[in-house]
Amino acid sequence: MEKILTKKSFPQWVKKLVSYKIYAPVEEDNHWSYEIIDNPENIDLDYPLTVLSPKKIIFPQREVLLEFETSNENKLQVKETLPNDEPTVIFGVRPCDAKSLTLTDKVFGGDFEDLYYWRRRNQSTLVGLSCNIPPSPNCFCLSVDGSPHSKEGLDILMTDLGDKYIIETFTKKGDQLINAAKNLFKNSTSKDKNNLEKIQTESEKKIRRQVKDIKKIPPKLKEMFDSPIWDEESMSCLRCGICTYLCPTCHCFDINDEIASSSPIKGKRIRTWDNCQFPDFTMHSSGHNPRPDKASRLRQRIIHKFQYFVERYQNYQCTGCGRCISQCPVGIDIIEVLDKVSDYGP
Amino acid sequence: MMAEEFEPKIVAFLCKWCSSAGSDLAGVSRMEYPSNVLPITVMCSGSVSPLYILSAFNRGADGVLVSGCHPGDCHYIKGNYYARRRIALINKLLEYIGLEPQRFQMSWVSAAEGTKYTQIIKDFVKELKPLGPQTKLRKDL
Amino acid sequence: MVNLEDLKKEAKQILKDEKVKYIIGYKKGVNGLMPVPAFIKNPEDVDKLVWDPTCVYNLTLFIVDEKRRKAREKNPDERPVAIVVKGCDSRALIVLLQEKFIDRKDVYILGVSCENTGVLDEKKLIKKLKGKKAEKVEFDEKDNFVVFTQEGKVKIPAEEILAERCLECKANSPVIYDVLLGEKVERNINNPFKSLEITEDLSEEKKWAFWKEHLDKCIRCYACRSVCPMCYCDECVVDTISFAVTADTSAEEKAQKIKWVEKSPVSSENFVYHLVRAIHLAGRCIDCGECERVCPMDIPLRLLNKKLEKEVKELFDYDAGFDPDLPSLISCFKDEDPEDFIR
Repeated sequence: MEKILTKKSFPQWVKKLVSYKIYAPVEEDNHWSYEIIDNPENIDLDYPLTVLSPKKIIFPQREVLLEFETSNENKLQVKETLPNDEPTVIFGVRPCDAKSLTLTDKVFGGDFEDLYYWRRRNQSTLVGLSCNIPPSPNCFCLSVDGSPHSKEGLDILMTDLGDKYIIETFTKKGDQLINAAKNLFKNSTSKDKNNLEKIQTESEKKIRRQVKDIKKIPPKLKEMFDSPIWDEESMSCLRCGICTYLCPTCHCFDINDEIASSSPIKGKRIRTWDNCQFPDFTMHSSGHNPRPDKASRLRQRIIHKFQYFVERYQNYQCTGCGRCISQCPVGIDIIEVLDKVSDYGP
Repeated sequence: MMAEEFEPKIVAFLCKWCSSAGSDLAGVSRMEYPSNVLPITVMCSGSVSPLYILSAFNRGADGVLVSGCHPGDCHYIKGNYYARRRIALINKLLEYIGLEPQRFQMSWVSAAEGTKYTQIIKDFVKELKPLGPQTKLRKDL
Repeated sequence: MVNLEDLKKEAKQILKDEKVKYIIGYKKGVNGLMPVPAFIKNPEDVDKLVWDPTCVYNLTLFIVDEKRRKAREKNPDERPVAIVVKGCDSRALIVLLQEKFIDRKDVYILGVSCENTGVLDEKKLIKKLKGKKAEKVEFDEKDNFVVFTQEGKVKIPAEEILAERCLECKANSPVIYDVLLGEKVERNINNPFKSLEITEDLSEEKKWAFWKEHLDKCIRCYACRSVCPMCYCDECVVDTISFAVTADTSAEEKAQKIKWVEKSPVSSENFVYHLVRAIHLAGRCIDCGECERVCPMDIPLRLLNKKLEKEVKELFDYDAGFDPDLPSLISCFKDEDPEDFIR
């Protein structure tokens, strides 16, 4: 359905959603972040890109997979710790972040479904917000088959029409949310629809950055495994973890046991985010490390996103949010690297 | 049934040549002192890394004591001087982040000072009891 | 004022003479206001070098990188590497020299003086411009910053957008150099530890609440550690990567590898990581402020190191990074070192 909601009524809608846990972007220090909202009056949907995408809600940085302890008779007992049943609504999801969830869906789904991921994913309703103006100076969603008003991965898409929002729902979950406060919504008029179209066309023109020739890149990368370009581009890389941790599509994880006591045995098995840019990511237990230097790790990141993922899932593993560019401490720019890749060679 | 009184757990890093010997003397002389201490013998107070202290708090110690030889008496000549510098800094840092300053102590205890050792422990336990369990730096398991 | 052309001339000459392998400096970024690190090998490329108030980065960490690179090469080029340093950065070089991590002959130092100002804090500038986008920033003779935006030029007094650490600067001119550009200007900072005042005066509970709130946000990206030139350990406390495993290593040994800090970003582990890092930097941190600048979660990391810098000065009268012949703080002691806290 398509409805209109005035900006004044927005907090009232959120107040009606009593059975849900509500997340929305909140300003903290100098950045914005998705946090749990207690007071709907505090939701400000006029915000730039958050530092961490909603990935941290669906695929949290620390997840307890199971707990184990030995009982009195020295038998090991294992307890599964799936996420709690907590219907969740996330407001203010940018289309690039929503699209990134459809990409991680492919990784955590398919032949083997990750229960922890899907529990959280299925109980979350994603309410998107169109980007009338680019929320970041480094957005390039159009280059990677995205758009500032894309509905991929969303249950609802809100677009700011000035003093009101036009609200489109695409799923049953989205409809349920509207029905919780039916009387606050009005039907949209043809004037609203025209306004929406105008805004959508304008928003695409405002995207400032683009990748030169992205279609050339996957086949080009196939030939570039041993190219010296990786060494040059990674000279200033710090081997921190900012680009991968902030990336909404990155999903590598590590599993460790955290032991509370060893006699009797008591502990938890924890899954945490891991990072291919850390030097010990590919360290083998023999001591050999196939990616010992920054060049090989930058190469891995680019080739994974723009060749391997394309071959496997027919999508670039990038939604053009620009976080890696804005937050890289030394200004390594993925668009610059990709342009150099497409220019490389004869 | 009476509620159990809180018994603080103290982790004590004692240098082998002086403080640990001092604690042994207290034991051999049958001096009574609270059993709240988990003694860890290190070769020298100078070998106590800040990691040991932070790790002790991380694993749930309510109080941490580092004890070494008096200045001039170190078995390795200078180790306790280095400890004095290092521990002063850790002390200031822990206080700066808001950990109760009573939870971390350093002392000079020689091999002959069994009495002093027992007094230090008695005082430490008395100071820690009203503070309750250490929850700030403790790992949540 | 520093003349950029003099810097470029000097750089061109040493490359032409093949005195150095390459020059580490600042060059304009492809996108946005801030520069990026430049690694210039050809004399023709020296025109890329820039020097302006946006040159915030501490490039010394690339000297550490260079050492790692050389260690991997079979027949390394033994020529020095040239580096453009500000006053604070030069102190980092001195700490590396003090600790014998590098030799004096491994670096050719192109020192640049900040004179009466310093470098800017990008976040402060963004707030000041209120939506206008800055394209370039220059020094002017009167210690202002001239900001060029799409809507025209804006002159801002330097104090309003200077990086926090510049307001407490201990070395506005390089302390060690082969070439010095710009004037050595006397600059008195009344209170070199002013930024600590707010936190030091808090009650114990408020101090704890302050640090807990901030360190809870940490996502353990380790950018603070990676950007610090003094964090050059091959194996850090939080990683256990070079555990040498041979045919004789038993399963028991492998299983009991000491794990000081868990990988998960929970409060207690974040505290251990940051506190241990602060202690390991005591007497070595020269307050380049990079750790705080790179943190994506805006944690005021500089304060932890600044607190220890203050204690080191007050307790031991020691300043990091001024004298390469001085032993490092924790490898020396004085008979008069305070011991009033010891029972």
